[in-house]
Amino acid sequence: MNQKPGSFRDPFGYIFEQNDFIFRTILSPAKKQYEEIRDEGLIQESVEQGFLIESEELTSSTAPAELNEAEYVIKHKKIPFISYPYEWSFYQLKTAALHHLKFELFLLDRGALLRDASAYNIQFIGTKPIFIDLLSIAPYKEGDYWLGHRQFCEQFLNPLLLRSLKGITHFSWYRGNLEGISAIDLYKVMSLKDKLSWKLFLHVYMQARLNSSVISKPDEAEAKAKVRKPLPKSAYKALVNQLYSWIEKLEPKDKSKTVWGDYAKHNTYLDDEVKEKHEVIFNFSNQHKPTKLIDLGCNSGDYSITALQGGAASVIGYDFDSNAIDIAFKRSRAQQLPFLPLHLDAANPSPNQGWMQTERQGFKERAKADAVIALAFIHHLAIGKNIPLNQAIQWITDIAPSGLIEFVPKDDETVCHMLSLREDIFIDYTEENFIKILSQKNKILRKTQVSLSGRKIFEFSRIY
Amino acid sequence: MFISLSNLKFLVFTVGIISYASPVFAYLDPGTGSMLLQGLIAGIAVFTSVISLYWQKVKSFFVKEKFDTDTDTDTDSDT
Repeated sequence: MNQKPGSFRDPFGYIFEQNDFIFRTILSPAKKQYEEIRDEGLIQESVEQGFLIESEELTSSTAPAELNEAEYVIKHKKIPFISYPYEWSFYQLKTAALHHLKFELFLLDRGALLRDASAYNIQFIGTKPIFIDLLSIAPYKEGDYWLGHRQFCEQFLNPLLLRSLKGITHFSWYRGNLEGISAIDLYKVMSLKDKLSWKLFLHVYMQARLNSSVISKPDEAEAKAKVRKPLPKSAYKALVNQLYSWIEKLEPKDKSKTVWGDYAKHNTYLDDEVKEKHEVIFNFSNQHKPTKLIDLGCNSGDYSITALQGGAASVIGYDFDSNAIDIAFKRSRAQQLPFLPLHLDAANPSPNQGWMQTERQGFKERAKADAVIALAFIHHLAIGKNIPLNQAIQWITDIAPSGLIEFVPKDDETVCHMLSLREDIFIDYTEENFIKILSQKNKILRKTQVSLSGRKIFEFSRIY
Repeated sequence: MFISLSNLKFLVFTVGIISYASPVFAYLDPGTGSMLLQGLIAGIAVFTSVISLYWQKVKSFFVKEKFDTDTDTDTDSDT
């Protein structure tokens, strides 16, 4: 049984993985806290209300023998797909933030609280957020502070504000600093007008200032922080409520500007061609009925949804464009689809990173599926990013044993645009070469022309 | 306990201006800043609740007077 490398921080318990299940140990320092929460019925109620992942407490006879040092062992089903906040769209991060705050308020009303506010404690099944860390729940004592406030601001609020105030996406910054965006950093990019907002003043400016004072006069600040005036519960709840109603109204500043957002309206296909393309995807999905399908370049989710209609049980979509995945997420959430769109720069996917470079897994380690579709995608790698065609094909076909890849020829309008201001150095980028490379490790089962310009969708199946 | 966030605005603003300092070394736990912020809010919450208690007393003194006169003149005052 392997300990999950991301679970080293909390000495209250660790996480182990076996087959389709996760085992959470509860060690002696957390025994009392866990029993109190459990006996109050809070775990059960949190599960029933859809806040917390469903779990089962094992007995000494049902728990794995190698975990016998733990006071308790909790078992739950694996989340179908683990994603990280630096891959989440704006609305996904917002949904996670509101889920966290709602859960905090729910617990406060029942005499408990959340000990931290890590965004990594929230995962998604489709677009439904779920809290996964049972050990974050602790009993509330009158006067307690909101211990997760700083973390909440860094991991949820500040990344959302960056996009909402400045139109800057959080992906790169968050991926560079896994703890999110600090108040000190964010307030440096805030304008005077931003600082005049009361809520920004309190949660960003004031926090940044006070953090600065901690750094410049640590002894004084420590002494002040030690003399804790009890925080009335009403003030605690007011802070949480204020953040909730604020975040609920946040929208991206650059909502209308998009590279691919209008793709569905302004693409280079004719109506019949679009219909034909949908048919190819529907039939492929219907034939294979994949449990998990990955859609590379999912845009606003048109073909992901077709794949679901065809019979795919779930779809993970990836796109580079922040507006496209925003639209896709809202669409999927509104229709409650098992479709999760995420951010991906295919030429620079999420790496293995964090402590020991194992804390957060890379794209390659997680993006394994039963089927993959890459429609109007490969030319962006091969021509847009100068990636050799054989490497691009290898990378896509490594994701799943079968799938669809669309080849876009050089005389297609989109590729013509891409090459209009640069030298054509892509002598290997031909359909003939594409077929040759794809056939090396795969069988080509079907070839369908889907546009007058000669775009073709190839269905492949791995040979080995 | 009573707390109004709008009441906090002016007080926190003042404290914020006073507590200005520039960053030097960023190796200390940055969570202390949030603790200090909540300490301020706690202080202000207590302060405003004490004020509101006194205010209620002052208000009830006048309201009582008014209520006495009202009941003499208007019997439908409760509706």
